[in-house]
Amino acid sequence: MRVSLGSVARFMGTRLLSSAIVLFGVVVVVFALIQLVPGDPVRLALGTRFDQEAYDALRAASGLDRPLVEQFFSYLGGVLTGDLGVSFRNGQPVVEILLSRLPATVSLAIPGLLIALLIAVPAGIWSALHEGKVSDGIVRVASQAGVSIPDFWLGLLLISLFAVRLGWLPSSGYVPIATDPAQWLRQVVLPATTVGIVAGAIMTRYIRAAVLEVAHAGFVRTAVSKGLAPGRVTFAHIVRNALVPVLTITGIQLATILGGVIVVEVVFAWPGLGRLVYDAVAARDYPVIQGAVLLIAMIFLAVNLVVDALYALVDPRIRLA
Amino acid sequence: MKRTAIAGIAGLAAALLLSGCGASGTPSAQADPNATLVAAIGGEPDKLDPQSTTSYFAFEVLENVFDTLVEPDQNLDMQPALAESWTVSDDQLTWTFTLRQGVKFQDGSDFTSADVVYSYRRIIDEKLANAWRLSAITDISAPDASTVVITVGQPTPNLLSSLGGFKGMAIVSKANVDSKKINTAPVGTGPFSVAEYVSGDHITLDANPSYWGGAPKVAKVEFRFISESATALAALRSGDVQWTDVVPTQQVSTLQSDSSVTLGLAPSNDYWYLALNEARKPWSDVRVRQAIAYAIDRDAIVQAVSYGTAVKNQLAIPKTSKWYTEYAPFSTDLEKAKALMAEAGYTGGKLDLLATKDYPQTVTAAEIIAANLKPLGIEVSIRKPDFSTWLDDEGKGNFDMFMLGWLGNIDPDDFYYAQHHSKGVNNFQKFSNAEVDTLLDAGRVETDPAKRKDLYAQAAKIIADEVSYAYLYNPAVIQVWSPSLQDYTTRSDRAIRFRTAYLTK
Repeated sequence: MRVSLGSVARFMGTRLLSSAIVLFGVVVVVFALIQLVPGDPVRLALGTRFDQEAYDALRAASGLDRPLVEQFFSYLGGVLTGDLGVSFRNGQPVVEILLSRLPATVSLAIPGLLIALLIAVPAGIWSALHEGKVSDGIVRVASQAGVSIPDFWLGLLLISLFAVRLGWLPSSGYVPIATDPAQWLRQVVLPATTVGIVAGAIMTRYIRAAVLEVAHAGFVRTAVSKGLAPGRVTFAHIVRNALVPVLTITGIQLATILGGVIVVEVVFAWPGLGRLVYDAVAARDYPVIQGAVLLIAMIFLAVNLVVDALYALVDPRIRLA
Repeated sequence: MKRTAIAGIAGLAAALLLSGCGASGTPSAQADPNATLVAAIGGEPDKLDPQSTTSYFAFEVLENVFDTLVEPDQNLDMQPALAESWTVSDDQLTWTFTLRQGVKFQDGSDFTSADVVYSYRRIIDEKLANAWRLSAITDISAPDASTVVITVGQPTPNLLSSLGGFKGMAIVSKANVDSKKINTAPVGTGPFSVAEYVSGDHITLDANPSYWGGAPKVAKVEFRFISESATALAALRSGDVQWTDVVPTQQVSTLQSDSSVTLGLAPSNDYWYLALNEARKPWSDVRVRQAIAYAIDRDAIVQAVSYGTAVKNQLAIPKTSKWYTEYAPFSTDLEKAKALMAEAGYTGGKLDLLATKDYPQTVTAAEIIAANLKPLGIEVSIRKPDFSTWLDDEGKGNFDMFMLGWLGNIDPDDFYYAQHHSKGVNNFQKFSNAEVDTLLDAGRVETDPAKRKDLYAQAAKIIADEVSYAYLYNPAVIQVWSPSLQDYTTRSDRAIRFRTAYLTK
């Protein structure tokens, strides 16, 4: 099979262009949505002791007194130059705030996804290849349980067992990996396991379904009847062809975790993007909410682009489509 | 009945405290001067500038970083802090404060009278959130480095509580403000200085060895932001944190019987109340308001919103305050309520009750109130907007009734003037009573404490009788800490002071 770099480049070019259009749409929607959210942030910042003069001053300072169109174009201009405004709460630049939260989220997402893959790839393939057997039933029940368990409850269960009862691991908190790798590892185990179990359960079901679909395909039956060794059929024919849906679900899970797992971050007091969004919504900190949603959209688009590129490498039919 | 339950809990907390104190006498319980005290608070401060933040999370931290000119002791009486002493002129219009000598800011610069003038001028001139507390002041000057003279337009007996009752009146450093670092790296004169601020995670304070009140007994205090109470309590039980106030009221009875933690419970100075829109009929009729005050089941509300930890009160000021007046004109009495309605010629109708999801207790109580008023033929519809919409509706008078609380008051003027004077800025219910106005105006300028207390007692009774507010309860301050934490007390003003606290080895 010959991979033509030209066709891959063309394929990625169109994908990049459509991502840029989607991103512009996201900016428009994010800006519009915020205007429709009930509740006046300026009013909230002043609290119960209210006076019109202070209100007008703060409103002008935040630029909220200008016409909507003007606000939009100045926002769009800011986005293009990497300026997402400043937080209503403390005047810190939004870009700075987002960047300060990204490392925590990434350092939870990667181990979380690894745990999910370690669970899902063997369990999904095994259960598909043993369809209908007892081991398949066990995997299906376990993955159903994993999908159904609220991550909130799972996190608290792990905390009460491993932190309170056994005292093996810290109950919550975060240290950057660069500051103290050993402590980071101790602290990441429980939240990453929570993320990994939930994401792993979802991925197990997808991988099982994908492998099953390929295993029932005509070319596999042909390969088996040709007398190929079962191991060769499994890996060269089934798993390779099941890779595309597996890539898709892995990409979606990675983007979801990178976008901040709000519940897990709140339960483990993990200072990532999810908690930032949670706090910003509570405080109606519009610029931070806008910036975070934009960043999460960019993460989704970027992960999708990478997944698209991998598709094109894995499956030549896609780049020609 | 409910009150005895509170006394029981408070008694038990006291017993736990006493047993803790007993243990500190034994040689095994020595203070560890190198210890880091880790405290879990429910969220991240919005900013660390004490004069412009309105977040309680910020004040939990800043209580330990900044000082005010005077400060409240355990009984909320004002004591010297950055001011060592003060005198008031005979006409009560000039207050002269003598500042403590040798006090330094945490950046090493000297604290002088210029800092006091700068701090108060900043609050007034920049119209910061607390400018109203200084509204009586006409002039502030600094005749020499250790003297501050404050002139007021009329006798102001509550000036000290305005200057010291709240950390929002902290003395800040001009250099720190000008550098624009005060929101993330504030510099105060207090027992601890801000050493590290990791957004979203924690703030670490270092002990200030040259603190004027004596060096703290722990090396560091780390405030961690944990919004989930189950996580905070797990962290406390596993020893990762030593103190937390992220405690849901329903956990109090469990924590009470848990010997591995110390529970601190104090009645707070906060109060929650109902107000009826007197600009609208039929609520303008005092008899209809009284009918509602008789129909409400306060016991049920206290039980539902606080699991019995709050204390019922038909006036604003709690029992623990020296300004407390015992008065409870209303009991739950439907017959009386119906009679009053008949007298007023009101046969029932719709009532628009404004609650807010941002304060869930208002929603819980609203449901009980709706059930309470049904037998009177009053059909309550509960609205639950977010708090900023709520504030808008309150300001525009767009409600029949609302429920809310006032937090952090000390002086009776804070409790009653703005809310019930016909010209009060927070009199959203449009209550107007000439006698109350006269009493509240007199209370503002009366310098004899006994006479002053009497004026407010009279005013408060009329306010309650005429149901300007239907007062409900004072909530409890609930905190829990590890038995290794010593010399720490839960305060009714919710100030978290770690300046003398220590951890045993």
